[in-house]
Amino acid sequence: MTAPRPIRLTVNGVSYEAAVEPRTTLVDFLRQDLGLTGTHVGCEQGACGACTILLNGQAVRSCLMLAVQADGAEVMTVEGLGGRDGALHPLQQAFMEEHGLQCGFCTPGFLMSAYELLQQHPQPSDDEIKEALGGNLCRCTGYMAIMKSVRVAATKLRAASPAAAGTVEK
Amino acid sequence: MAAEMTKTLSDLPVSATRFIGRAVNRVEDPQLLTGRTEFIDNVVLPGMLHCAILRSPYAHARIKSIDVRAAEQLPGVVAVVTGEEARRTTQVMASLPPEWGTYCLAADKARFVGEPVAAVAASSRYVAEDALELINVEYEPLTAVVEPTQALEPGSPLVFEERGTNVMLQRVLTWGEVDQAFREADQVFTEQFRWHRLGANPMETCGIISQWDPVEGSLTCRGSFQAPGHMALGAAGMLGLPLHRVRMIGHPHGGSFGGKGGARGVGITALLSRKSGGRPVKWIEDRMEYLVAGGSQSWDRFYEVSLAVKKNGTVTGLKVQLVDNMGATGEGFAAFSTAKPLASFTGCYTIASAQYDLRLVATNKSPQSPYRGMGPPPHNWVLEQMMDIAARGVGLDPAEIRRRNFIAPEQFPYTIPSGNEYDSGNYEAALNKVLEMSAYQRLRQEQAAARQQGRCVGIGVVSTIEPGVFDWNAYAIVGMPMTGVPEGVTVSINLFGKIIVRVGFPLEGQGQYTIASQVLADYFGMEMSDIVVVPQDTLSAPPAFGPGGSRLGVALTGAILGAADQLRDKLIKVAARLMQTEPANMELMDGKLQIKGVPGAEMPLAQVAVVMLTRSDLLPPDIDPRPEATYVWTAPGRTQPDEQGRAKSYLTAANACHVVMVEVDAETGKVEILKYYIADDCGTRLNPATVEGQTQGSLAQGVGAALLEEYVYDDDGQLLTSTFMDYLLPTIYDVPMAEKAALVTPSPFTPLGAKGVGEGAMHTTPAAIMCAINDALLPLGVRAHEVPATPNRLWKLIQEQKRKT
Repeated sequence: MTAPRPIRLTVNGVSYEAAVEPRTTLVDFLRQDLGLTGTHVGCEQGACGACTILLNGQAVRSCLMLAVQADGAEVMTVEGLGGRDGALHPLQQAFMEEHGLQCGFCTPGFLMSAYELLQQHPQPSDDEIKEALGGNLCRCTGYMAIMKSVRVAATKLRAASPAAAGTVEK
Repeated sequence: MAAEMTKTLSDLPVSATRFIGRAVNRVEDPQLLTGRTEFIDNVVLPGMLHCAILRSPYAHARIKSIDVRAAEQLPGVVAVVTGEEARRTTQVMASLPPEWGTYCLAADKARFVGEPVAAVAASSRYVAEDALELINVEYEPLTAVVEPTQALEPGSPLVFEERGTNVMLQRVLTWGEVDQAFREADQVFTEQFRWHRLGANPMETCGIISQWDPVEGSLTCRGSFQAPGHMALGAAGMLGLPLHRVRMIGHPHGGSFGGKGGARGVGITALLSRKSGGRPVKWIEDRMEYLVAGGSQSWDRFYEVSLAVKKNGTVTGLKVQLVDNMGATGEGFAAFSTAKPLASFTGCYTIASAQYDLRLVATNKSPQSPYRGMGPPPHNWVLEQMMDIAARGVGLDPAEIRRRNFIAPEQFPYTIPSGNEYDSGNYEAALNKVLEMSAYQRLRQEQAAARQQGRCVGIGVVSTIEPGVFDWNAYAIVGMPMTGVPEGVTVSINLFGKIIVRVGFPLEGQGQYTIASQVLADYFGMEMSDIVVVPQDTLSAPPAFGPGGSRLGVALTGAILGAADQLRDKLIKVAARLMQTEPANMELMDGKLQIKGVPGAEMPLAQVAVVMLTRSDLLPPDIDPRPEATYVWTAPGRTQPDEQGRAKSYLTAANACHVVMVEVDAETGKVEILKYYIADDCGTRLNPATVEGQTQGSLAQGVGAALLEEYVYDDDGQLLTSTFMDYLLPTIYDVPMAEKAALVTPSPFTPLGAKGVGEGAMHTTPAAIMCAINDALLPLGVRAHEVPATPNRLWKLIQEQKRKT
């Protein structure tokens, strides 16, 4: 055990200052220190993608990072995706309508990976969707409905914002 | 009890159903999608401690001593427990077959790698894991016995010395004149097969928070329990507590697939909580723990199978010899998996006689646990391989031999030799449908063209039964004495006329709360948003089991309809009094209580409920004034097994026919799935989208089973696949997006005609892919007899054949 170190970061638009043991993983920090339990831990081996978050806009596995490495970063978790009033983001809406989840445990990770994809490729091909989601494991759905959810979300987002396709409000 | 239960869609008291049978959005989803669902690891209780478990590094070793003093001194550590304490204060865990159980912590010797030997409760998981490193265990390693061949040899090391043998159970069951069928056969085909261990691996591991109440002497556990009531029984037995002093609170969990029923964690955390003066103790299994020794590993099987066949392709007899490597104990109830094949032993076929010779063998591998399908998937695989072998032997197309042996639609209900009764089906229609969808003849032409080019392309055509709605009686041959699995609900109408339905199981992912809402909204003529489903703990819930054995869609529907009928009868009595008529003159229709044949003479449901809850002076004198009813449903017509294990066990027999085309790369042994088609029939589809989700998801697990997933052990019993980098789950790249068609042959035995569907394609996919692989390998003169068909295995087969020729 080593003495806690101060870190400062922004999570879903909120600034936090905290002192964490250097060995604390980022996902443990988010879940246990900040109470943001929407990000899930599936394997702690970097293999399942359930803990995927956005770090400075990039999808990363929060189980493979230490919280101290996120010092100064801007983090987005599933809690930052929809509205504070409970409104679903079009991506979440599409997952619901296309039955892109069953137990829902892996879903926050899929949403964050898909969010990053749609930021970069508002009109993704199936191959691009597969590449973006290839590191997220789902044991329930067999992926078919997830593929469809992402396709539908892309269409919805483009229709909602044809000029700035792919950028969505936080 | 209601006189005649609502049984069909047209019996529902609405002019037209609006939700049942539609792919409505799931009520579970908004919370899951926003990360708000309370999975067990999200729960924090005041004063909560965290548990870490020290596990045996040896597959077989005597524990000579354990020194925990240094661990106990570590700041933050509150309690440490060992097997000695478990032996002193608990019972061995329940096991099947009986007498093959151990304590929740190894008390004398470790019997598998990963068996818990000590555990720590500390201020954080980090500190608890630090403390594990300070525990000093002195082991005396013993020779491990890893495979049944070795375990059955005289003089082999014994997993349980006091048993004097490693054979947990041996039985030979004979149904019909099977020897005669083999004597009179034109051809007999015999093959050996090996199915390697695989397992459930839900994305969420197991998790438990145990809290001991030292004053009351009671235990409360929150956790990711698949069947909380069943878990409470196990915990009470293990801890020597009366059942009313154990409260299990099931939390929504991130999948189970059979793998969330193990009681060890409850025992360990309960002991730690008691030792900590009643502070809650949380244990969240990590993935390595789950893979090495969690409730996951299933189906470790050696088969020898024979088929008796007539010249025209009629199959007259089936003999199956199974040796099952159960692992170190019978704690996971995995023995059920060897008994469930009785529910569909002869598949879709009119095979008149059969024999099942099974041996369950103890070894120093991790104990087996249930997994989706619960045993028939390997059985279906060997049966379907044999059907293909027989087809080639008598010169028939694989589709044709199946067609010739199908049970015909007019033969239902149909009793198979092993005693189960299939409710309904039209197997030939499913076959025709999938052949048409896949343009089967054209696929064969494509295959011929590919073969011309030297490519190994193959097609599998497979038909199977999915037994649905499990009953304990199916498991009688391994020592389970019960018949009937209750599922109870309480349905209430509140002051605002909205409905609360209380159930005895937590969310697991199959969408049952949605089905409950669909059924109740249609029954009472409401919106789905007017219904709320509330899970209860085991001391509050009516008798309930929860999901398992593809039962809950059917069982929950039955329970809800039973309760709704009773509630309707009560409301009618009250409304009749208020409207000054006889109950016989009244009916519930479209959410209103009305006098039959008198337009306008009606009261809305909410109004009647309000009167019941607020105006006792207006009620009939003999009425129970609660707008509420509880109903406990069990499958009708289940029977006690006879001496050969024959019983009407699983209530429904869904069926599916799969056609799959694969290509095997002869240079690398890698299999690519080119096309996949499914026609399935699970009776009435209560929510077609969730049914399709079960099928596609189960297909993915079937792909994993056929091609990827395997727990690999070395000769010393060390598991070599303890991460997701070694134990390979199918990714989005591995799962074909299957084209699917539905046939609907309603069950005459179930509420609304639905059949169990949760295990789905797992019953069919491994068989279908393996048939396709063997069809592809045909020109090379080799046949794959092992699952999974990994590149390495297929490559070796191909290379050996090349060397020979």
